[in-house]
Amino acid sequence: MKSNIKKEKIVMSITIGIACFALMLVMFMQFKVVQQTDIMAIENMRESELRVELTDWNQKCEEINERYQEVMSKIEEYQNERESDEKTSQLLLEELSQLNEILGMTDVEGEGVVITIVDNEGKELSEDVTVERISEENLLLVVNALFDAGAEAVSINDQRIVAMSDIFTIGEEFLRVNGAKIESPYVIKAIGDKSYLENSVMGKGGEVMKLRELGHDANVSVAKKIKIDKYKNTISTKYLD
Amino acid sequence: MIIIAILIGCVIGTLIGINAPVIPYTYSTFLAIAVVAALDSVFGGITSVLKKNFDLSIFISGFFCNSILSIALTYLGQKLNIDIYLAALVVFVGRMFTNLTIIRRHYIEKWMNKNEESEQQ
Repeated sequence: MKSNIKKEKIVMSITIGIACFALMLVMFMQFKVVQQTDIMAIENMRESELRVELTDWNQKCEEINERYQEVMSKIEEYQNERESDEKTSQLLLEELSQLNEILGMTDVEGEGVVITIVDNEGKELSEDVTVERISEENLLLVVNALFDAGAEAVSINDQRIVAMSDIFTIGEEFLRVNGAKIESPYVIKAIGDKSYLENSVMGKGGEVMKLRELGHDANVSVAKKIKIDKYKNTISTKYLD
Repeated sequence: MIIIAILIGCVIGTLIGINAPVIPYTYSTFLAIAVVAALDSVFGGITSVLKKNFDLSIFISGFFCNSILSIALTYLGQKLNIDIYLAALVVFVGRMFTNLTIIRRHYIEKWMNKNEESEQQ
């Protein structure tokens, strides 16, 4: 009887012990889980929370997308504008270089003629006729004839003839072109249609022929490639509005 | 002897529980409801001891069956997309409070009786 009661007590103790063990085990496991879990982490969120988050982010995404489109269209606009600007600037640059060429601000090359005139001043042609100095007028006429024949660029002794150029006699000694003095032999270069240019000065009544008649040595050579330097002075305007 | 068994069970359970691997957060609901069910059984057991109608088999079966059933119900609730564990929680915690009231009344009455007896003497 006594041993029976004891046995019962032992069984009861063991079962209650196991129950306590199970309870504490589960409880502490749960404590640990709750303690270690980051509730804000996305894996631990409840479905409703996730839904709210998702709609939130969707909205944000849409907004950003809209903004992106806006910015993209603006960029495109700017690009178009830039392209047209580039075209304009290119056109302007082309125009500028053309104008510079015409004005004489650049070195130019092309076919044309080279006229060499040697002053034979004082040479006696006959008993009482001596050769006179080459004057500014002679050169001016030659240059004029060349421009008349369609010369696009003319220079005398590498002094480019431009709108501001002057050809002037200083005293009795020498000529001045563009403010620089030049001396015989005079080398006049002209770029243009070479046959036109040649004919304009060599033909009957041409300036070169006239100079020859006056007793100077004058030669015309035709070349496929002549280089004419740019106008060396600076063009500045002071009185033009 | 029973107290020793309880102590040993608690200590071992605590040690193993602290060192056990962390289970995923999704399943922690099941553990929580099992803990509540077990605690309810414990308080029910104490009440029955006080009422002197404690039965070990009923206690043990209630202890484990309630836990497992509550877990099963919670799982079913998840599948049905309804929070059944809330209902289980209400029932278990309500019962716990009832049992706690009974235990409190028992000891207060006992104490009052003792006081009265000493006064009468």
